[in-house]
Amino acid sequence: MKTILKVTVLGICLVLMLLIDVLPQLLSPGLQLVPEAHAVLGVRRRTARRTAVVVGSTTAASASAQTAAAQQQTAAAQQQAATAEKEAAAAQQEAAAAQQEAVAAQQQAAAAPPPPPPPATGAPLPLGTVVKALPAGCTPTPVGGVEYYHCGGNFYRAVFQGNQLVYVTAKP
Amino acid sequence: MDAVHVRMAAVWFVLGALALAATVSTEVRAQAPAVDSAAIQILQRMTDYLGSLQQFSLDTQNTFEEVLESGQKIQFDLAASVVVQRPNKLRAERKGDLISQFVVYDGKTLTIYNSADKYYAVAAAPDTIEDALHFARDSLDIVPPSGDLVYKNAFDLLTANITSGMVVGKSIIGGVKCDHLAFSGPVVDWQIWIADGDQPLPSKYVIVTKDDPAQPEYIVLMSNWNVAPDLNDALFTFTPPQGAKKTDFIRMDTGRTSAR
Repeated sequence: MKTILKVTVLGICLVLMLLIDVLPQLLSPGLQLVPEAHAVLGVRRRTARRTAVVVGSTTAASASAQTAAAQQQTAAAQQQAATAEKEAAAAQQEAAAAQQEAVAAQQQAAAAPPPPPPPATGAPLPLGTVVKALPAGCTPTPVGGVEYYHCGGNFYRAVFQGNQLVYVTAKP
Repeated sequence: MDAVHVRMAAVWFVLGALALAATVSTEVRAQAPAVDSAAIQILQRMTDYLGSLQQFSLDTQNTFEEVLESGQKIQFDLAASVVVQRPNKLRAERKGDLISQFVVYDGKTLTIYNSADKYYAVAAAPDTIEDALHFARDSLDIVPPSGDLVYKNAFDLLTANITSGMVVGKSIIGGVKCDHLAFSGPVVDWQIWIADGDQPLPSKYVIVTKDDPAQPEYIVLMSNWNVAPDLNDALFTFTPPQGAKKTDFIRMDTGRTSAR
């Protein structure tokens, strides 16, 4: 009798351990691959919530059309600013990368080269510097059938970087 | 006493089997690919159909997200029309866009032309669309819109790394009733909307890049599919217009423009 009791208790313990092992996976879907229906419902729920937000903002817009227009303008302005910021950042990064390359090349050529000056106005940029747009006041200067743009002591040549037309400093 | 022993052994056996079964089923559930065969079937019907087309044209509206250093996401839009003639001709043109530009591939060379600046660049390219797309991406950093789907072996490429796939349901995209599929992989999650009629063509394609914490998305809407366009070779060859200026690509493979 005692043995049977022992076995029963052990058995119950084992079953409980199994439940603890399996239950959390059943209760929290985030931790496992959920059944398809469940996942689909999740997607639907999120979609519904997003739609509700859109509806809400539409109501607000119709309540005050002028406010909406003003907001749109602000948003557009912000977007432009962001784009400009991004492009500027990209241009800076590229300029920095090109500078680094130029430094490396110079170091190979000469033992102790002076560091290149920062791209201030008037100072020539290292060859191979890529800029997204030409600086103001550049004039087209054809040299040997190739069109260069001359300004601020630099000659630029248009090249394709991916599908973007960019300008790179070059020696005519 | 013997009866008790036998019963005990039986109980232990049952418990052992139970434990083993539970462990195995948990592991199997964790490892089994949750790729719904219905989703695969719809996807393959589309890729087979698209792969069987000798020529086609379509318009695409592409939206891609760039992540600012602050983490803020900005969307950029690009409209392009694509013309494909298998096995070795392709034209992608940005139309109704701020930048007027086209890329043509004629089986030998790939040319890009910006009509506003009148600059063009030419690169020798491999002799099939598939290899040329690869080359354009890896060497020139040019990714033609919806290029993923143009590959003849698009099915293998799309499904190579997926860990899950499901049919989300039906949806209307651009007036076309579509099957909406969602797939997940280690680096990207992607969704595709495929017309559910006789011509299983894609209408929308969304890719989420997960290795960037901001998870930027690429969205392409596809419309005006023509599976029998009127084509001629002039469409895929580039003749420099009067005053067009030749320049170079900054190559990804060499890292430099060719010196002049």
